[in-house]
Amino acid sequence: MLKQVRGMTGDEAVAYAVKLVNPDVLAAYPITPQTIIVERYSDFVNNGEVDTSFIPVESEHSAMSACVGASMTGARVFTATASAGLALMYEILYVASGMRCPIVLAVANRAFSAPINIHGECTDQLVCRDASWVSLFGESAQEAYDETIMSFKIGEHPDVQLPTMFGIEGFIVTHALERVETMSKTDVEEFLPAERDVKYKFSPDEVMTFGSLVLQDYYMEIKRQQEEAMQNAYKVTKEVMAEFTELTGRKMEIVEKYQLEDAEHAFISYGATAGNAKAVVNKLREKGEKVGALKIRLHRPFPIDDIYDALKGIKSATILDRSATYGSPGTIVQGDIATALYGKKDVPTLHGFINGLGGRVLTLPQIIEAYEKAKVYHEEGKTLTQEWIGYRS
Amino acid sequence: MLELPSISVKDLQEWSKLGEVLTSGHRLCSGCGAGIMARQVTLAAKALGDPIMIVNATGCLEVATTIYPYTAWNAPWLHNAFENAPATASGAIEAMKAMRRKQNKPDRNVNMIIFGGDGGTYDIGLQSLSGAIERGHDFLYVCYNNGAYMNCLSLDTHIMTEEGLKRVTDIKIGDQVYAFNQKSGELVLKECSGIFDNGIKKIYELNTLHHTIRTTINHPFLIVQRSRKNIENKLIWKTLGELNVGDEIVVLKSLAEGNSYTFETIKMSKLGDYKVNKLNEVALPKESNPELMEFLGLFIGDGWVRVHKTEIGFSIPKDTKERKRLIELTQKLFGITPSEVNPNDVYIYSVNLAKFIDSLDIGKGAKNKKIPSWIFTLPLEEKEGLIKGLLQSDGYTIGKSNRYVSASIELLKTMRLLLQTMNYRVGKIHKQQKKKGTFVVYRKLLEDSNYGYICFSRKKEPNVGKYLSQIKQRDFLADNPNFKTEKIVSINFIREEPTIDLRVEDEHNFIADGIVVHNTGIQRSGGTPQSAATTTSPPGKVIPGKIKWAKPLAEIMAAHEIPAFTASPAYIRDLMAKVQAGLKHDGSAFLLVDSPCNLGQRYAPEISIETTKIAVKSCFFPLYGTYLGEWILTGESARIAKNPDRKVPVEDYLKLQGRFRHLFKPEWKKKLIEIQETVDERWERLVNLASC
Repeated sequence: MLKQVRGMTGDEAVAYAVKLVNPDVLAAYPITPQTIIVERYSDFVNNGEVDTSFIPVESEHSAMSACVGASMTGARVFTATASAGLALMYEILYVASGMRCPIVLAVANRAFSAPINIHGECTDQLVCRDASWVSLFGESAQEAYDETIMSFKIGEHPDVQLPTMFGIEGFIVTHALERVETMSKTDVEEFLPAERDVKYKFSPDEVMTFGSLVLQDYYMEIKRQQEEAMQNAYKVTKEVMAEFTELTGRKMEIVEKYQLEDAEHAFISYGATAGNAKAVVNKLREKGEKVGALKIRLHRPFPIDDIYDALKGIKSATILDRSATYGSPGTIVQGDIATALYGKKDVPTLHGFINGLGGRVLTLPQIIEAYEKAKVYHEEGKTLTQEWIGYRS
Repeated sequence: MLELPSISVKDLQEWSKLGEVLTSGHRLCSGCGAGIMARQVTLAAKALGDPIMIVNATGCLEVATTIYPYTAWNAPWLHNAFENAPATASGAIEAMKAMRRKQNKPDRNVNMIIFGGDGGTYDIGLQSLSGAIERGHDFLYVCYNNGAYMNCLSLDTHIMTEEGLKRVTDIKIGDQVYAFNQKSGELVLKECSGIFDNGIKKIYELNTLHHTIRTTINHPFLIVQRSRKNIENKLIWKTLGELNVGDEIVVLKSLAEGNSYTFETIKMSKLGDYKVNKLNEVALPKESNPELMEFLGLFIGDGWVRVHKTEIGFSIPKDTKERKRLIELTQKLFGITPSEVNPNDVYIYSVNLAKFIDSLDIGKGAKNKKIPSWIFTLPLEEKEGLIKGLLQSDGYTIGKSNRYVSASIELLKTMRLLLQTMNYRVGKIHKQQKKKGTFVVYRKLLEDSNYGYICFSRKKEPNVGKYLSQIKQRDFLADNPNFKTEKIVSINFIREEPTIDLRVEDEHNFIADGIVVHNTGIQRSGGTPQSAATTTSPPGKVIPGKIKWAKPLAEIMAAHEIPAFTASPAYIRDLMAKVQAGLKHDGSAFLLVDSPCNLGQRYAPEISIETTKIAVKSCFFPLYGTYLGEWILTGESARIAKNPDRKVPVEDYLKLQGRFRHLFKPEWKKKLIEIQETVDERWERLVNLASC
């Protein structure tokens, strides 16, 4: 494969990756910090560089609705949104997964109102965790680029047929200029089938009813099929990432382990925060601390075994969670990890830190402070559940 | 330019052979305008030749036609959600274009039809529709407007009416039914203004110790909400689904003292009539009295009547005090002596008495007897007479408790309800089966028999004056002469059954199987006309129903610079011409259809088409089309514009429907005039704009 390197922001990386995929329909409504994705793509459409029908809808609700309508005809569909837009789509997220539409959605993770704020925070995507969407997080513009292309392949797999969303943090990734290794049209054509493999579609030639009323007698069976598809999505994501690694040479895994082999303590994070965690690991290692970092790339389906394998034998884990939850027994991701590890042997104590809300910068000294605090709590046999860092009290 | 194709009756004949798109088997209500309208629209579309595709917003039309794993649609059909059908269609349209583009194929014409109700169009879906029209996708949006968000009882429910107890299926619009006045706590009579066949629904049975009712899960009941401080206890409505065992529901305790019943005169046979050779003279009573009721009680228990054999028979063994009493009563009441033909049976031979008993609506044989409705209107003394007679026949008494056995479950049900209005405590109906040869009361069974029995005893009146607050802990309405509360002991799913519901003016409740229940809900939408009553815009003392006029939706859509039409399923060719014009138009088009809903607009299902016809004739719903500032009146509306004498008063439209009934009260006379003025004003404006 021919490697080319370009400078791109996270949003541009997504737009260029979608251009290589050349989906049939892109229906979207602009919202900061997702706007650049749609702006760039409109250029491609109006310059005739892609075949895509661009539907400039009047709201995110209609964006997701149009995506469902398009996907039901067998088309390959992409959309992008953030924060309030994702919340407005929420109703139709369930329709998309229930109707088994492998739509791909890029989320420029942004804080929820109020107070209104346009900056990075992952709450918007995390609260969609039960909507039966495959959900990924990306750390950099490169990962945004790669995950765009992989998302189509994961969702459209015959054993999955579920929509996929991937998130990159607003401004921190979406607007930061980074080095991106790009792929060629032929690479993508080799990786992704030219068309979706669709058995049943909303077409003028087929008398078929889609989206019918399903009552108590069949509803649960249909929902159970979604859960089975989710289980399949775990295996498929692994396979797709392995294939992608082979094609590009860029290591892509469900979870990324950083210096965890001999570690006694670990950071757990996802998205851009993983970069900070890795920098702190380097610093602490210099001081002789036995510490590593775990990055969760796939949040749904939640990779239970991979996380257990990575954390087995670790004493304490400092969870850096850029999302808000109130009155809950832990941070959002801490809850998932705790459930995954509960009852297993040699697992670390978990210490959840809510940080970086509304784009607040998380400094390295703050992370080190959190790490020290977690260690103390671990020694005392206690856990931290709703610890907030990086705010003025 | 607006051009409507002209459609002849011959065209209709040809098209009717094309085959239905919305096929039979759907579960829309009888009389529903949506089904009629959908068939007309799809047929007109099919006649154009190109393939059709349908996107349907959530609503009656969608829900009632696609209950998984069945579908009534013989066309590609897609449903997404309530408020997004236009966006969904736009996605499908653009996707199909893109996929053909990739394959280097030219665009293919598909007639895309979107169906949405008035809720999904006027209100929650307006933005999606406006956005899709602005983007110019090629579709026809059909809004079937019934003017509200529309949403039961099992068929063997019995309703307490002025004329006594009636099966719910026998209730007619205009009947006076008993209701509970929530303000005064009184038993009142109110008019039944609507009856709705609600189709097959899941039925649940609610039991208290003394009452049983079968309803759907969403049916509201009146229950006691107890607060910690008893002074704040109050009655509230809750649906069956929200009720728990132990909740106290309001039930009927007793009816007001009735009057003796005057019998209708029957045509008496006389000597010389066909086949009448001999006539035993009898004196027939004109009015009911306690002893007659006792005789009828014996008859209900042990008797049968065969008019063609001029006989009334009783299975009462000889040498019993029951037989003695029967003979005594017969002589006293009718002046005739029964024949004791054999040890087991007694016969009265009189054609006229047989005719008389046959006319009382009691039933003829053991399995179909019942307490007829008129008995519920009698004075207490006469009702007691009946019970006395019943107990002498198939009943027996142990101490203070009575038991009554019958093979007719309908008799037990109606008897239970009668006893409940007479201050008796009545247990549930016990069903049993006895094998052939067993003795039941006095008789040996000739075959296996299914029967039931009820137990009842006279209620001891608590000392309400002295211990009211304590008694109220048990019976919240202890001081109410007509109602009381009873605790729910069980709620069970029974099966799916056909259901029916009533609408009752003012009080919006009625007494079903002795229990106070609410009628069902219809909520206002942006398409609800002014002054119409819905359950969220009820006609109150100050505000007579909905305050504002409906949005001028067709005009709002026309402002998007697309062809917009109105149509009525009563004028088929006009509707179909508009469908075809809308679909032929390159881009979006809009059609507003007046789609009557008998449930929400409250009229009998068989006058659906009549209602929508008069909506057009009164200019309440004019037929027109408009595009880029050009307006045309069509069909009947064009004829009215040319000849204003054809126009009927708007009252003719309003009076057909229960939702406007309150406007005909003297205090809202002014509102009626106001509505007529607004309709006239709008019509005049339209006529001035339009060419015919």
